[in-house]
Amino acid sequence: MTSPPRALQAADEGQLELEAIVAALSARYVVAAGVRQRIRRVQVDTFDRRLRAAGLTLEHQSTASGERLVLGRPDGSSAAAVPVADLRWPAPADLLPGPVRDVVAAVSGIRALMVASDERRRVRQLELLNEDGKTVARVELDEPASEAGAPARLTVRTLRGYEEQAQRAVRILAGLGLRPVESTDDRAPSSSKPTAGTDRESPATVLLTRALSEFLATMRANLPGLLDDVDTEFLHDFRVSVRRTRATLKLGRHCLPEAMRTRWEPDFKWLGDLTTPVRDLDVYELDLPTMRSWLVAADPADLEPLATHLRSRRTVERRALVRGLRSARYRRLVTEWQDELDGLTDTQEEADREHLSSGRLADRGIAKAYRRVARGGAAITGDSPAGDLHLLRKRCKELRYALEVCAPVLAKGPRNRAVADLKGLQDVLGRFQDSEVQRQALRGFAEEMMADGTSARAVLAMGELIGHLDAEQDRARREFDGAFALFARPSSQQLMHRLGGGR
Amino acid sequence: MKVFATYNIKGGVGKTSTAVNLAYLAAREGQRTLLWDLDPQAAATYVFRVRARVKGGGHGLVTRKRPIEAALRATDFDNLDLLPADFSYRNMDLDLDDTKKRTRRLGQLLDTVTDDYDIVFLDCPPSISLVSENVLHASDTLLVPLIPATLSLRTLEQLTRFVADSEGSRPEVVAFFSMADRRKRLHREVIDAIPRDRTRVADTVIPALSIIEQMAERRAPVPAFAPTSRAASCYEQLWAEVRAT
Repeated sequence: MTSPPRALQAADEGQLELEAIVAALSARYVVAAGVRQRIRRVQVDTFDRRLRAAGLTLEHQSTASGERLVLGRPDGSSAAAVPVADLRWPAPADLLPGPVRDVVAAVSGIRALMVASDERRRVRQLELLNEDGKTVARVELDEPASEAGAPARLTVRTLRGYEEQAQRAVRILAGLGLRPVESTDDRAPSSSKPTAGTDRESPATVLLTRALSEFLATMRANLPGLLDDVDTEFLHDFRVSVRRTRATLKLGRHCLPEAMRTRWEPDFKWLGDLTTPVRDLDVYELDLPTMRSWLVAADPADLEPLATHLRSRRTVERRALVRGLRSARYRRLVTEWQDELDGLTDTQEEADREHLSSGRLADRGIAKAYRRVARGGAAITGDSPAGDLHLLRKRCKELRYALEVCAPVLAKGPRNRAVADLKGLQDVLGRFQDSEVQRQALRGFAEEMMADGTSARAVLAMGELIGHLDAEQDRARREFDGAFALFARPSSQQLMHRLGGGR
Repeated sequence: MKVFATYNIKGGVGKTSTAVNLAYLAAREGQRTLLWDLDPQAAATYVFRVRARVKGGGHGLVTRKRPIEAALRATDFDNLDLLPADFSYRNMDLDLDDTKKRTRRLGQLLDTVTDDYDIVFLDCPPSISLVSENVLHASDTLLVPLIPATLSLRTLEQLTRFVADSEGSRPEVVAFFSMADRRKRLHREVIDAIPRDRTRVADTVIPALSIIEQMAERRAPVPAFAPTSRAASCYEQLWAEVRAT
């Protein structure tokens, strides 16, 4: 393993004098200086910075002589550079050339790659040669192409087997007064989980406002990617924030203004409903490869008409979604919601409302949500209709959101264990409900496709899928009793007591 | 990790030129590539301007007293590393003979860098020896350069038998003509007459061109210093043929 490249800059972040650098390095090496060239550096990553989290960097470099993708690996040394042409961002990792694709796709998963930063620089490469004429280290002088760019920097690149030469070059450059560049973290907002920083005694409105503001920020951050259809996760994360907003409004009914119930709850329901059809179709499209693997009698290719049908339905539904998200109603909703949140903690009305601490809100909210899950689950029998299990799933989600929104005032360990206990039950209920919904949806799709004259093979294959979903639903139903017993076991109840759920 | 070996019992047939140029082309595509110069003459090592010296020598590597990673050297080209030759490799047969699983040791050594490279080229010395047996077991594809001459066909037969008789997994043998001169009647006849039923013979023929000989003078692969030359395009064609194997 070699050490990663080391970046240096002038102590005053000013210009770097090439002549002085070459003169200093020439005392030890033959320095071959390349021509100065303009380069466009586009750093690429997923919206939630998965490459960065995995220690990878991906840079699309364009110069007059061509374009290439440079993949940096965690050890910094084994970067792969691949010539490319006609690569446009955003793009799925599948479109990358082979050697880079294999590494990047394993990390980026479902997410598309998009521009994280875009800089135009002027670079000059210095090759440090030994007496055999072999390059033993590389130094890159990288200057901004305009005044607005990041300060000039020198990057010393280590070559495998010649580590000590790079160290020596760094020492020589440090002698010129250059210092290491501090790394910066430009992580994008993608998660809508509330951050810590609220104590139990602070007003509940503070806790709720902070959570609601973070959900709004996530919605805003995901909107451009959603509108541009970069990948399906933008819509998913947007919807999660809307759902969390709705659950938080419900949780805070005791201490939030009346307008929350009368205006904002219906407005966010509208927003949730607006995004549902496209998300449902995304789920079917994403599940198609798995569904193909379920087929026993039919051929996987028989599902191609379904894939085509889903795509054309999605195109239609997306048009409606984009219209809705570009409408005056949506713009008004977001602007006025921001105003509402800004004014939430400092109005006179707030003083008049029931004063509730964050800790008390968490206790009450979790207790209520837990009671509803416990009662709902205990009432489920072998004869209960599917609707009862669907209702219980919604109650579980409310408890989950309460645990998440109140996280800043809950003990981390018990909260995580409570979420883990709840997750097992949610998984079973999710499988049960998804099978139910997908079965009905497939029937609906089949009718639409038959009206369009689809092949019998496609309908038969979809019949097989419905059969598989039916069996899956049965399996989930059989697992329900065990999952609920685990959730309702004494140790889990005690955990909820500690979190306020038993009050 | 895919392992190619350039191998022939005869010397001076273009093994090193092939290994150097194909390794460069693989690296240019973005594949993390390693070239192991197993020949104590160290021609590939010389081309890349790396010193033909491995600390602990071949003995240190084979006995694992020295890790293979410590001997690796970056070349001047992106994605391409070299495991240099050392004059002590002339005794590698003896070193291998003293180890357990003596015909598998080179493969075991390569296993230690499997996460670091996508493609490995082994540039082999001309002989039939324990090193050759190791190369057979370690490689997925044996690239055999042949000068278009009657004796070359006999050599290919011997080599094919040697591979067929070896135990365990066997590499695919891909022969190709090297240093060919179409102006010579004999060359043309041999190229046309070579039996293609028992051994795969690549369609690409590497001609005898002075620019290939200039590699040692320019100390770089042909596509690096003469990217638009006929020789560069022949090696590109050959790489396109064999990389899919």
